[in-house]
Amino acid sequence: MGTADAQPPCGCETLEVSAEAAAILLSFAMHESEAPAVELGSALERIDQGLRPCAGAPARELLTRDLAACVRALQFHDRLMQQLAVIRNLLTRLADHPLPQMAGFGAQRWEELLAALRERLAADTHDELLELLMRTGGVSSGDGAGGEQAEGTSELF
Amino acid sequence: MARILAVDDSPSMRQLVKLALSSGGHEVDVATDGVEALQVAEKQQFDVVITDVNMPNMDGISLVRELRRRTNYRFVPLLMLTTESTAERKQQGKEAGATGWLVKPFDPNRLLSIVAKVLT
Repeated sequence: MGTADAQPPCGCETLEVSAEAAAILLSFAMHESEAPAVELGSALERIDQGLRPCAGAPARELLTRDLAACVRALQFHDRLMQQLAVIRNLLTRLADHPLPQMAGFGAQRWEELLAALRERLAADTHDELLELLMRTGGVSSGDGAGGEQAEGTSELF
Repeated sequence: MARILAVDDSPSMRQLVKLALSSGGHEVDVATDGVEALQVAEKQQFDVVITDVNMPNMDGISLVRELRRRTNYRFVPLLMLTTESTAERKQQGKEAGATGWLVKPFDPNRLLSIVAKVLT
């Protein structure tokens, strides 16, 4: 098992390698999660096709409602991919810079990093979640933020 | 029934938008970014275009700007469907010529009602 000899000679190198590995793993996860999401989408398409010719009105209504719920819920994947992309970019920058500049987004201080994160996570729900995490260090259930996926807004110009 | 072009770089989002709109009886074509969308839109006329904002090659706001330059898309409803919700980005979309700004996640029935509204 591991001993003190297993420690790499330089902490700086370890951090860079870790960051690079994390970036690779994240890219892999993003790529790997794409296929199941597409498969789920295809299944929904088949359900939709199967509904068309079709059964009694109440059953159809129920299935149509379920279908809408699936479409709404499956959008988690798109948001997940965007968040993972942010993390990947952050880690890539971390790996590209020497240790004193490792805060990411080119930020030198924590406040700058927070401001950069706020700018990047533009959606209101993200902002609320970030605020909550800053205050409590974690997300509690039942307060709405980070819980059930909210529906987006719409505005016609 | 309308002929709709849905533009998004995410395969799952393209599927979901297509599914939501086709279940409402619309005919839906898809494109993966602004460049492909322009090519598709030049080959055939669409009644509505729904586009994401952040995409590779050409983003959604540039796509809207480009489409508005074409006489056959001057009055076609162009909707943005995005996770971005800042007033600044919305203003950019509006100035480019977008008809509306929808923030993800979208509800299929709501999307259908908005499409119906912009088509009237």
